[in-house]
Amino acid sequence: MKSERNRAPSPDQPQASKTLTVVEPPASRPAAAPVRPGRELPSSVLTPPVPPPPPHLDDYESIIGAAQVEALRFLAADVKGKTVKMVNSTAVGGGVAEMLNRLVPLLSELEVPTHWEVITGGNDFFEVTKAFHNALHGTEYELTKNAQEIFLMYNEQNLQRMQFEEEVVVIHDPQPAALIRAKERSKAKWVWRCHIDLSNPNPSVWEFLRPCIEKYDAAIFSSQSFARQLPIPQYLFYPCIDPLSEKNKELDDSVIQKVCDEFGIDRSRPIVTQVSRFDRLKDPVGVIAAYKLAKKYVDCQLVLAGGGAKDDPEGSVVLQEVKEAAGNDPDIIILDLPPWCALEINAIQRASTLVVQKSLREGFGLTVTEAMWKGKPTIAGAVGGIPNQIIHKLTGVLVHSVEGCAFQIRYLLTHPEFARRIGMNGREQVKENFLMTTNVKRWLLLFRILSGSKPSPIPT
Amino acid sequence: MPTVERPPLRKPEKTFYFKTSEHLLRIGREKATTLEELLKALRECPDSSIFQHTFRTLQEHHFIRQGFSNDFAHWSLSACHEPILAEQLASVDVREFTDIAGVRGRMVEIVEEFLQEHPRSTARAAHEPFYFCAADLVVLPTPFAPDTLPDFVDALRQVSLHSIHHHFIEARLRLKRMSNDFSNWLEQEVGLRDTASAIERIDIYTNTLEGVRQQIARIVGQALN
Repeated sequence: MKSERNRAPSPDQPQASKTLTVVEPPASRPAAAPVRPGRELPSSVLTPPVPPPPPHLDDYESIIGAAQVEALRFLAADVKGKTVKMVNSTAVGGGVAEMLNRLVPLLSELEVPTHWEVITGGNDFFEVTKAFHNALHGTEYELTKNAQEIFLMYNEQNLQRMQFEEEVVVIHDPQPAALIRAKERSKAKWVWRCHIDLSNPNPSVWEFLRPCIEKYDAAIFSSQSFARQLPIPQYLFYPCIDPLSEKNKELDDSVIQKVCDEFGIDRSRPIVTQVSRFDRLKDPVGVIAAYKLAKKYVDCQLVLAGGGAKDDPEGSVVLQEVKEAAGNDPDIIILDLPPWCALEINAIQRASTLVVQKSLREGFGLTVTEAMWKGKPTIAGAVGGIPNQIIHKLTGVLVHSVEGCAFQIRYLLTHPEFARRIGMNGREQVKENFLMTTNVKRWLLLFRILSGSKPSPIPT
Repeated sequence: MPTVERPPLRKPEKTFYFKTSEHLLRIGREKATTLEELLKALRECPDSSIFQHTFRTLQEHHFIRQGFSNDFAHWSLSACHEPILAEQLASVDVREFTDIAGVRGRMVEIVEEFLQEHPRSTARAAHEPFYFCAADLVVLPTPFAPDTLPDFVDALRQVSLHSIHHHFIEARLRLKRMSNDFSNWLEQEVGLRDTASAIERIDIYTNTLEGVRQQIARIVGQALN
């Protein structure tokens, strides 16, 4: 099938807005024809690239400075040789695995030998833990005796299989939380790293898990608002991005240009972008409405780049809604990208004039972090962890409605100096608080505290 | 024009050991959803929370030149929509205090007075809660230990901004006097009293921390020339 992405639009004839997606056999398409048909993605993105080797600590020096790298080495020297085990439920896919892929080698390079193990379980276990995950986010759920038994049985199986000889054991998320039962036979300090929002959990699931969590020596949450009242110390570790990953590394302008050419994005005109999967909670239709309101006053293109429409039935419905909302506007470019298109997302973010994340609900909102790291003026919904990142009018702009979003698009496109300043501040905010190296520092500080080194609450 | 001959600079007797401090954020027990609850928590929270939301937050937001002072002021504006209170809280300069009790007392006083004058604001629900946090601090050495003034300036340019915060902003809580480690050393070890007081007068609320570093380097550089 021939790609149409390079066709020049006729100046006097409206061109159908661009939707690039993986082309499926016609039979699998929805019966109701989309407003515009899917088009082929460039062949360069159809297969996953070979992942590059993980970076070394010295590679970060050009980003955070020699003094900060030196501080990491000093911190690590105090816990040198301390052994750590990280346990989670998946080796690939998802933010936790992505983070551990970078964290584990960096800690080991700092001579804090860190081992990463993944628990195993049958489909029944992962069905239960998926339901737990949703319930802890506040979804209605009836906790059955059977679900409890499945959860505990697989945790017990993993517990029997695994050794816990390290000095610190870090359990990520609820799935392996009941491994804490091994604490009695280990000398380790046990830490529960909760990556999910527990601000409004389903009470039955939380009360089932709570006795396990209270046995840990410490818990870590991604936001103050995600934490619970617990009798153990609770620490705040913001999620982070890796500035050297494919998604965030610096790119030559030629790479950015090539990606824009492939996707039909015109860099000579303002580009407003939202990167997110096609999910109603990300409000892509609201973004289109805001763009249309703004476009009465300012010229711009809208890029909606995301994924999830292929393997998520709801995602394909939302994509359809997005296409319908976009109508025939040639300046709305909808990209349904496979999950391995990190470099393409990076290039699109870097090509953008503004980045929008108009979420209605959000976890931490790492796409906001990514945009801020690239120095992009960012407009985002004031939900979840986003206000931890965006200080209104200082490191970005917070909005609460379609109209507010539209106004900020207009304002930032017509006040480039203000936009530049909040973009620069946003980058500094990420550099100080949300980079992988800051995360390494937090882990080293925690290991130091757990090993008995008493920190000072105020300067003395 | 005859030039005034200045006495040669004294060689410092003591080395200046640049240190840095890193911190881990603990989530506290206190939470405020109204200004009344903020006042109660301000009175009762541990010193480490007051330190975190006033001194420490300046380091976390060191790149902002204006418009950010402390977390209490920021919350009063962004979540409670109380610009008068926000301005009053933002005007509290942490460098006017040598202990946390003083900072706490001033914050409590401002909120108390505001609520007396604006009783309807007392129990109005904030847009989002204020979660009290606290910092666990660890002081670390750095490789920089100058024992001459030129080496001091050279090191000043190379250390992290966390080190600048440690010596210039947090220092008065350690020293228990209205000064900072740089001014202290320059005055006591090199005899540069005017330089020391010029550095002490740098406004941290209208500068980024990088700007503060550059100003210190320039002031000391003038003394060298």
